[in-house]
Amino acid sequence: MGMSYRRYLSGARIYGCCKCRTHLATIHSMISRAFNGQHGRAYLFDGVVNVIEGEPNDRQMTTGNHTVRDIYCVKCGQTLGWKYDYAYEPSQKYKEGKYILERNLLVDVQ
Amino acid sequence: MRLTESDIDSALSVSLDSTIDTEPPFSAGPSNGHNGISTKSNGVSVPYTNGSSSKGVAHDGLDGHISTRNGSSSVARVSLPGRTLYDDSYVDREEFVRLVIQSLRDVGYMESATTLEAESGYIMETPEVAEFRRCILDASWDSAEAALVRLGVTEGEGLWEARFLIAKQKYLEYLEAGKTTAALHVLRNELAPLNPELDHLHALSSLMMCSDPADLRQQVGWDGASGSSRRRLLMDLQRYIPSSVMIPQRRFATLLEQARAYQQSRCLYHNVPLRNQSYSLYTDHICDRNAFPRVTTAVLSVHEDEVWNLEWSHSGRFLATASKDKTAIIWRVELDKDPRYRAYAPEFILRDHEYPVGCVSWSLDDSILLTASEHRITLWNSRTGLKVRSLEQHTDVVTALAWLPDGSGFISGGLDRKIILWDADGKLRDSWARTPIRVTDLQVTPDFTRLVAVGMYDMMPPPPDAAGAGAGVAGAGAGGAGAAGGRVAETRIIIYDLSTKQPELSIRLEGELTSVKVSQDSQYALINRASENGPPAEIHLIDLSNGRVVRKYVGHSQSKHVIRSCFGGVEENFILSGSEDGKVYIWHRETGVLLEELAGHGEGSVNSVAWNPANERMFASCSDDRTVRIWEAPPAEALSVFGAAPAERVDQERDGGHEMENGKLSGKGKGRWDAGPSGSGSGSTSTAGASGSGSGAVGGSSSSPDAESGYGLGSTTALF
Repeated sequence: MGMSYRRYLSGARIYGCCKCRTHLATIHSMISRAFNGQHGRAYLFDGVVNVIEGEPNDRQMTTGNHTVRDIYCVKCGQTLGWKYDYAYEPSQKYKEGKYILERNLLVDVQ
Repeated sequence: MRLTESDIDSALSVSLDSTIDTEPPFSAGPSNGHNGISTKSNGVSVPYTNGSSSKGVAHDGLDGHISTRNGSSSVARVSLPGRTLYDDSYVDREEFVRLVIQSLRDVGYMESATTLEAESGYIMETPEVAEFRRCILDASWDSAEAALVRLGVTEGEGLWEARFLIAKQKYLEYLEAGKTTAALHVLRNELAPLNPELDHLHALSSLMMCSDPADLRQQVGWDGASGSSRRRLLMDLQRYIPSSVMIPQRRFATLLEQARAYQQSRCLYHNVPLRNQSYSLYTDHICDRNAFPRVTTAVLSVHEDEVWNLEWSHSGRFLATASKDKTAIIWRVELDKDPRYRAYAPEFILRDHEYPVGCVSWSLDDSILLTASEHRITLWNSRTGLKVRSLEQHTDVVTALAWLPDGSGFISGGLDRKIILWDADGKLRDSWARTPIRVTDLQVTPDFTRLVAVGMYDMMPPPPDAAGAGAGVAGAGAGGAGAAGGRVAETRIIIYDLSTKQPELSIRLEGELTSVKVSQDSQYALINRASENGPPAEIHLIDLSNGRVVRKYVGHSQSKHVIRSCFGGVEENFILSGSEDGKVYIWHRETGVLLEELAGHGEGSVNSVAWNPANERMFASCSDDRTVRIWEAPPAEALSVFGAAPAERVDQERDGGHEMENGKLSGKGKGRWDAGPSGSGSGSTSTAGASGSGSGAVGGSSSSPDAESGYGLGSTTALF
């Protein structure tokens, strides 16, 4: 809804969309590298920019049941990972509101 | 109170008989600069009579009536108490009457003026003033200076400058007449001794080299002895003479003009040109709100997704709109027709954009329309709807397109930090140094001196201790507009000198800057500032000479979208803006008073607004609801019949199938916006529009921007 410009990040390392290099996140907002996605290794970020969020749905993961939304690149629509809306396991609550980007779908941009 | 006979006698003697046919007619004696009648004793007015008249008017009767003799009318002087026009006013009667006399003479009522002088006992000006004026107008230069001194111009700065002005005129007139020797004499013996600045004297002496009088007049910007130059000199000399002695030209008219300007400044809905019947001295000027464009007279719904931007052609006969649906549309507007029967046909739909279209810009002669879609600029022939060429120099989103004031080319700006100057046919002419900001909008001032750009810096990483605080923020915007870590990007206005391409001023602001418009006088810029995580949304009017905020306009909402504003109306008296609450906002520019919040658009933001350059009572707005609305004054019959709510009625009448309910269009027949000819093209217009939104309200998410059908697959298709 409405027109908005893409955001641009600055920092030591910037991750962008593998297809169109749109800025997504910086290493400064990375929380963990120890995640796995559909395409292998994935990173957990505190915040990302320039993504569209899909509809929420419940997904059974290795760490328990979560409500998640897939996230897509705002420019090219590439699926990039997902966002945690809700964690059923109390031990996983820290993920709520945070984002997963799959490493194989990212490129370094500067 | 009427005077006794002998007073009348003395008063009349001032001007009648001897002066009635003279020109200028104020030969009479006393400059009694005040209502001095009471100071004169009955019958001893001898010093003021000019001899000849006393015989004629004397002892004519005791009732003070006007006597006539030898074809000249005599007027009794009226003595009034006090010095003011009315008992309770501050207006000095003498001043007032003298201005009236001046006005009468200006328009040619000579006898009335003379009569008024006689009746009031005030004269417009003394013979010395008349003499001085005659000296200047008749080029009696030698007497002019003496006359000037008699008017009370004292030695010193004033007299020095006045002398110089007179000598300069004299010099120029000699030169014009080819009397070089005389001119040289004036230069050496009159101008030079006054010790003007050396440059000035050199400039004057170089005029000796002028080939002919025409050349001279052109070089000096002077219209010669037979032109208005002597009257201009008189006006210039005016400032050295006390205004009570020589009344400034057209003084009454000046005061009336000031009154008009004041009334206009208080007229919040002021929107009529100066040369207009709506001004009368009888009443204070006030514009009727009902003559102000504040109702929708047409809804243009052909776009299949959000409409993001729009611009009128300079002729006001075409409107270009840019949409998320990857097209731009050129609409034809039947400007001459009655609003009720006016059709808005899409002249061309400009396809062949790979991404949504963000801005459109008409060339000065309206022959070319530029569109920007992502990093690509496209030139379109606006008369054929055909693509001329695409420009690919930008490496990121092109956010602004601005034609140069002379039409020789245009400037583009983008998020890639590039500002590029192009020829009118799209040849790259110049590329500026990388800008510190990612440009989100820019404009060139109409006087060709400055470029005003707004934009943002890249977002800095959040400080380590703030990590986590912004969790979840990014999710807010559907467009991914949320800030990582809750940080707001720093933004800036940069005012460039267009000739040097160097920044003159750089102003830091908080909140995204999404729109720049420059006023017609090139003095001010209008800038939208979003409120994201920060202070409320505001529109700033910035003085370009010093960067100061002159006025702020508030009330609308803008937090995450690109919302644009514009100037509008006669003398750009209004500020308009879109808003994320779906309304159009209009402020009075001078006072910042919010005049109108116009509802009508459906769900989502009103993204941009534009005032028609050829019709001061029409503007357009575009919205996420996929439509463009045309706003005009309520039609007269709608006002009389339906009173307060004319907008709905107008919409229903115009749009046929449309039904307006609380600003939302109900589903049926929604794409059908016009009752025009229904060829195959327009038929499919209706189909495409309806299929795009299903039965929901406008702006529903079920739309598919790709569901284009009916127009054909070429780059452009004319519809009607």
